[in-house]
Amino acid sequence: MLRTLAALLLMSTSALADTADGEALKAMTWDQVVQEARGGTVNWFMWGGADTINRYVSDHLGAILKRDYDITLNRVGVADAVEVVNIVLTEKEAGIVDTGAVDLIWINGENFRSMKQGELAFCGYTDLLPNNALVNWDNPAIANDFGVPVDGCEVPWNTVQFAFAHDSAVVADPPRDMAALLEWIKANPGRFTYPAPPDFTGSVFVRHVFYHAAGGADALLGPFDQAKFDEAATKTWAILNEIEPFLWREGQTYPNTIAQLNELFANGEVDFTFNYDPSQFGLAVQAGTYPASTRSYGLTDGTIGNTNYTLIPFNSPNKAAAMVVQNLLLSGEEQLEKAKPEVWGASPAIDITRSPAEVQAGFAAIKGHPSVVSADELAKAALPELQADWLTAIEAGWQAQIGN
Amino acid sequence: MRGSALRTLAGLALAMWLILPLLPLAIWSVAHGWRFPAIWPAEWSLKAWAFALSPASGVLQSLGTTTLVAAATTVLAALVGVPAGRALGLYRFRGKGLVLLLLVAPAILPGIAVALGLHGIFLRLGLTGTIPGVVLAHLIPVLPYMTLVMAAVFAGFDTDAEDQARSLGARPMQVFAHVTLPAILPGLLTGALFAFLVSWSQYLLTLSIGGGKVQTLPLVLFSFATSGRNDVTGAVAMIYILPGLVALALTARHLTGRNLALGAGVPG
Amino acid sequence: MTGRAHPLWLLAPALLLLGGLFLAALGLTLIRSFRYMPVLGLTDPDLAAYASVLTSPGFLSSLCLSLWIALASTVISAALALGTAMLLRQTFPGRRLIGFLVQMNLTVPHVVGAVGMLYLVSQSGFFARLAYTAGLIDAPGQFPALTHDPFAIGVILLYVWKEVPFITLILLANLQSIGADHEATARSLGASRWQAFRHVCLPMLRPGLLASSALVFAFAFGAYEIPLLMGASSPRALPVLAWQSYTNVDLATRPEAAAMAVIIAIIGLALLLVYARLTRPLANRGRDAG
Repeated sequence: MLRTLAALLLMSTSALADTADGEALKAMTWDQVVQEARGGTVNWFMWGGADTINRYVSDHLGAILKRDYDITLNRVGVADAVEVVNIVLTEKEAGIVDTGAVDLIWINGENFRSMKQGELAFCGYTDLLPNNALVNWDNPAIANDFGVPVDGCEVPWNTVQFAFAHDSAVVADPPRDMAALLEWIKANPGRFTYPAPPDFTGSVFVRHVFYHAAGGADALLGPFDQAKFDEAATKTWAILNEIEPFLWREGQTYPNTIAQLNELFANGEVDFTFNYDPSQFGLAVQAGTYPASTRSYGLTDGTIGNTNYTLIPFNSPNKAAAMVVQNLLLSGEEQLEKAKPEVWGASPAIDITRSPAEVQAGFAAIKGHPSVVSADELAKAALPELQADWLTAIEAGWQAQIGN
Repeated sequence: MRGSALRTLAGLALAMWLILPLLPLAIWSVAHGWRFPAIWPAEWSLKAWAFALSPASGVLQSLGTTTLVAAATTVLAALVGVPAGRALGLYRFRGKGLVLLLLVAPAILPGIAVALGLHGIFLRLGLTGTIPGVVLAHLIPVLPYMTLVMAAVFAGFDTDAEDQARSLGARPMQVFAHVTLPAILPGLLTGALFAFLVSWSQYLLTLSIGGGKVQTLPLVLFSFATSGRNDVTGAVAMIYILPGLVALALTARHLTGRNLALGAGVPG
Repeated sequence: MTGRAHPLWLLAPALLLLGGLFLAALGLTLIRSFRYMPVLGLTDPDLAAYASVLTSPGFLSSLCLSLWIALASTVISAALALGTAMLLRQTFPGRRLIGFLVQMNLTVPHVVGAVGMLYLVSQSGFFARLAYTAGLIDAPGQFPALTHDPFAIGVILLYVWKEVPFITLILLANLQSIGADHEATARSLGASRWQAFRHVCLPMLRPGLLASSALVFAFAFGAYEIPLLMGASSPRALPVLAWQSYTNVDLATRPEAAAMAVIIAIIGLALLLVYARLTRPLANRGRDAG
């Protein structure tokens, strides 16, 4: 009798205890993980620059997690995911292995590679998540994060594709491919600029020019090749230096962040902005920041698209709760909810055909915002991301050659 | 006559200049769509205020956090700074110059010089991401202000009244409560005001030590300002300056010219 | 806390706190700057980080920019504050209101002022819109670039906006204690207003003016968030460069960030010594201890 009571007591207290032991969690069933997660807190560090996303996460997801799983979701906004990598890295350096400050990160690309290479991520548990079955891991665009195999270290959340935005009342017929854009910049001095790398969005713009200089993305796929890089880079810096005097402020300064570029666009100081997530254009029009005549489009020679993910750091003390959050994010209902333009407009990372019928019907019924180019439209000319080594080389090259 | 008109004009220009940067913030907070070249917003709206005051924005919560941190820092600074100020104001001793230097240094050396090392230390102590950690960090730039003001106050303090009270049989606590404290109160309130304001507007120390988990108003304002939501930024800015004004109003009676001579060695 | 306590006991908490935190933090930064980072396997201190920092053109232009910002802000603020203090000594309609506004300015945090200043003087800001309405410009690009510009004009404007009230209040306090007698005497002996100001008033205000200027210089030199918000992408102000170096995921840049922080601290230390010199009278005050 006493022993049963003691066992019960132990079980209940352990349910409230930290779930930092990832290996133990991997050995459990999903129901046991959910049980472990009850009462836990998840500190989710994510880019906080869009309050619609913040609202979706804090209000909508937060309420569901509290109600159904008794999990407290604590969204922590950061300006760039690299800050969070830095936190975990510094913690590892200081020997903090099971009381990390970060439980979940919204991440991809170079930052993911830093975490995977630095052994900062919790890996090998994703098969445990029931909704993981909705993900098509055979799709290389999902199984690889900027060319780095995911290997069960992160869980997909959204797919995005780069698009340009312009005010159709000011620029009625915008340039539709990279060559035309470069010509347009020279013909319209002071009306275009891009954020300085290593800003995420500025960096991808430079990569579009890089692909253009290399004659297409296919030549660059695969591991980093110094020779191929040098050849394309020389042409790229030549192009960017050539247009520099025709940029805003004659290229003497560049916006530090995409938000600054958006501000310039909103105030008509420049005629174009761009983003990985075209739904942001619609949200800005709704907020009154952009004019209602804003329209977006992709390039005929293609724009770059990728997947973004959520990741649990190796030293998170709330891994079970974080796993429950990830499972919720993958569910058909939540992928549908965030796809609605009035909520966020984010494209799903799951294979919709694997989701329940009502979810599929919901997706079919979504009407897009007039300022937002549809994901299907953009997908007609999609370019892949390069492996992270290319990115760091391009960013370093830009800072040395142009950013001076 | 002309001199007086000139003075009034200068005064007017000064007044306008002092208020000017705050005006666009106030207008933005009730604007919906205010793009170049409009002088006035296209539409007026209270949505920004509604959002800022709602729990979703985290603004009210960070108002609470910032107030808590600033209040705790002020109280601790007073507890530590009053005795330190007494020592500096009333006594001469060997090494006093050096002590003064050490006590003033944190106010003059830029915060970045301290933030790097402090981050490393607090990480190992487990203080990063905690409110006590941030309070301790704020004490570093705050203490000099409190100490210097109290030093100036005690420099002009006559200890005879204390001696008399003691000779009449009062216990040390009574002497402090009934003789010392009332005399130093105006200066203490000035020091407290400065301490509160320095902590209230700290950015880098909170950013580095708070590790994203301690969200004070300057951090929240900065992140809204850099994400393009000018209307929300305006509302948050208005909310942010309010408590400082309240603190000023509460201590205004005690702010005399003397007490505001922050440079403690300055005559007066 | 009554008079017989030895000053050491009174000072102990403050010294412990500052010694434990402030000095320790500076010390750790110093150690890091010598490239002593066991986690990276670097156990031989050397000056490589300093060499790399001091020879990098990015660092030198950032240092020059920060010194420029600090100097310009301090000189302009001090000059304007003198004028403001002299103005506020006199009576004229609205004097009390302005006195209150000056005090109120102290309570407004720098970040708020910076955002407001951006909305005011940027190329699509309020002044630019006024210029457009007046027909002086056709597009934001024609308005002078005062923000994100190579001379950090917007940053300097913000510092002047915040520091003029600060210095003014200190000067007013000093003027109050100096009193008007000396000036009155000079005037009665035939000196003009300007002469009385220059030869009587100014010298007596000098210590306070210089001391508060040292504080302002230190602040303008070492502030992080204002140049981050209002400054250009290159050159960046030195504190911005240092902090961005520190938060780089490449751990090898930490020693360089620490070296930059140490250099910033040394400049701050120089200012501290200047300030200490100017406020020496306090050190000589008070009774002898035990």
